[in-house]
Amino acid sequence: MFILNPQSGIPIYRQILEQVRRMVASGQLPPGTALPSVRDLALRHTINPMTISRAYSILETEGLLERNRGRPMTVASQAKNHSQLPKRLQQIGPLVEQTVVAAKQLQLTEAELVKTVRREWEQNDE
Amino acid sequence: MNSASVEASNLSKAFGQKQVLQGMSFGVSPGDVIGVLGKNGAGKTTLLELMLGFTAPTAGAIRVFGHESHRLPGAIKARVGFVPQQDELLDQLTVADQLRVIASFYSHWDSALIERLCGEWGVNVNARIKSMSVGERQKLSILLAFGHKPELLILDEPVASLDPIARRQFLEQLLTISTDGQRAIVFSSHIVSDIERLANRIWILKDGKLDWQGDLDSLKESIVRLHIRGTGAELPQFRIPGVLNVRRDGAFATAVVRDWTSEAQAALEKDAAVQVEVEMLGLEEIFVELHK
Repeated sequence: MFILNPQSGIPIYRQILEQVRRMVASGQLPPGTALPSVRDLALRHTINPMTISRAYSILETEGLLERNRGRPMTVASQAKNHSQLPKRLQQIGPLVEQTVVAAKQLQLTEAELVKTVRREWEQNDE
Repeated sequence: MNSASVEASNLSKAFGQKQVLQGMSFGVSPGDVIGVLGKNGAGKTTLLELMLGFTAPTAGAIRVFGHESHRLPGAIKARVGFVPQQDELLDQLTVADQLRVIASFYSHWDSALIERLCGEWGVNVNARIKSMSVGERQKLSILLAFGHKPELLILDEPVASLDPIARRQFLEQLLTISTDGQRAIVFSSHIVSDIERLANRIWILKDGKLDWQGDLDSLKESIVRLHIRGTGAELPQFRIPGVLNVRRDGAFATAVVRDWTSEAQAALEKDAAVQVEVEMLGLEEIFVELHK
């Protein structure tokens, strides 16, 4: 379910935070979806369980996940608030900024960049 | 009742005139997996030996389950497991005999677990120890430290001779042990990628001192490389707290800092009128940067 890279400079708990936020925002993880247990994730990815617990706790505080007694954590029912457009745009903001900076360094025009994005978008749909 | 597995305050150790460890204070709690990093000669083995009570501190104190480590009662010792850097296997025995000898010291030896692991790790119980490879011997000494299900497991470079597959099996087993939250693991290794997977806390030893201790997550958030860009042709002068090194190159600079926070970033961007991009570093790079 997650793509986790322990050797990355980004702490594992942050990798989980970002991926859950993104998947909830996009509706890939609808409300009520069960998340893998901390133990399962730790053993499946061979990573320390505490960093996973930390991510789950933060997501619970944010209201994205719900803790259920004796059952796996689930995506909270109010989580759909997070899928409103401004929120989602805010999340992709830093990536867009990086792309624009790189495009300017390469002296591409706005039209060229938009064209490239459109092509990528269509290829991704196929 | 003391809930800490290990507690040390101002721990120091000298051998003759040579000061090996100086003023270390730390704690280990159940559930912790602590990765100990340090260059050769930084004092890692001495630190682990103090924890095991093989030697007494010159100054300060170290307590294991509430008892001074070099005066541990037998019942407390039985709660500790150790995998030494150099194995202490008996060459003339077979694996089965060696396992039987160690098992006889403990009332709660888990022979089913060890039998299963021997199978999974490909350890032939009928093999004679003197005919085994370094890697096979290492697997066996790890098994010998697992069988009594220690609450504190101390490992000194346990995997140096294991291939990547065997190392992964070993990591998986350590994780299984740690997921019940009742046990503490302290292990030193030069294989940084293993520590990055397994540890939740990191100790970095440098010149006999604990140069850094804390969560692996916080370590990666506080020691970062900054890419700094000014608006003009020349970068203005700036000061960054906790800076380890800076390289200036016209309108650009890169700097590695050790106490990075978002507040520090905001202050730097405002005061020096520069743009800062933060690059987070893997553990190996952090280790190298701390030793430049």
